[in-house]
Amino acid sequence: MLQKMVLTILITTLIIVILPLTLEACPSCKNLNEPIARGFNWSVMFMMAMPFTVFGIIGGSVFYTYRRANRDLKT
Amino acid sequence: MMVQRGMEIAENRPFSNAKLGVLILLGAETMLFAGLIGAFLVYRMGNVTWPPLSHADIQLPRLVTGINTGLLIISGFTMFQALRTIQLDKVKYLRYYLLFTGALGLLFLVIQGSEWIQLIGKGLTLQSGVYGATFYVLIGCHAVHVLGAVVWLAIVICMSWAGRFSSVNHTGVETCTIYWIYVVALWPILYFLVYFA
Repeated sequence: MLQKMVLTILITTLIIVILPLTLEACPSCKNLNEPIARGFNWSVMFMMAMPFTVFGIIGGSVFYTYRRANRDLKT
Repeated sequence: MMVQRGMEIAENRPFSNAKLGVLILLGAETMLFAGLIGAFLVYRMGNVTWPPLSHADIQLPRLVTGINTGLLIISGFTMFQALRTIQLDKVKYLRYYLLFTGALGLLFLVIQGSEWIQLIGKGLTLQSGVYGATFYVLIGCHAVHVLGAVVWLAIVICMSWAGRFSSVNHTGVETCTIYWIYVVALWPILYFLVYFA
């Protein structure tokens, strides 16, 4: 039991020691001051916003049309 | 009886399946253009000088394209008027507005084509680097969509001549209008991005 615990602690310590403290997520945009990195950053932001915009517009127009139809039915 | 009831429900539905289908198609188109604009942003912001020094002598025809943009915006207005007239059951005016819209769309494509011929003559081609590639892919992709919209409109015009539309049944005009206005609304964004950024 004790041996297992010591072994687990040793392996965990070894993994923590081996793993680097800091990681660079993307080699293309690691330095945001470079023009190409800024380009990647804006491009990612723009494309990330698109699905929300698309679903928002489609969902919004369906919602608005049904709400207007219901309002017309009531009046 | 069941079929008739189903048809009644479909007719009374405030948001038709065809309209929803076109909106989903436009959602996919938006993602396509978002990808292309994203690629353009990477190259544009990645280069300190734009156009790159290799194409510094090439001037994009901003004025002619600006006038062309105006023509396309007017076509969006006439297309919207076409929808309004069929909602009021004025079939004769619908045909005029549709024909005028189609003519403006074709004129836009002809002017774009003549610009491209001039630019190719000046040495700006698809293979001439990032500048040429992003320009022709973005503008060309939009031109293909305008061509698609013109073909769709031609079918709608034929259907209107055959008397297929009325104030009650005009889904064909409505879906074509949505697609046309999307193509029109997209163009000023691409114009300012590619010609002025």
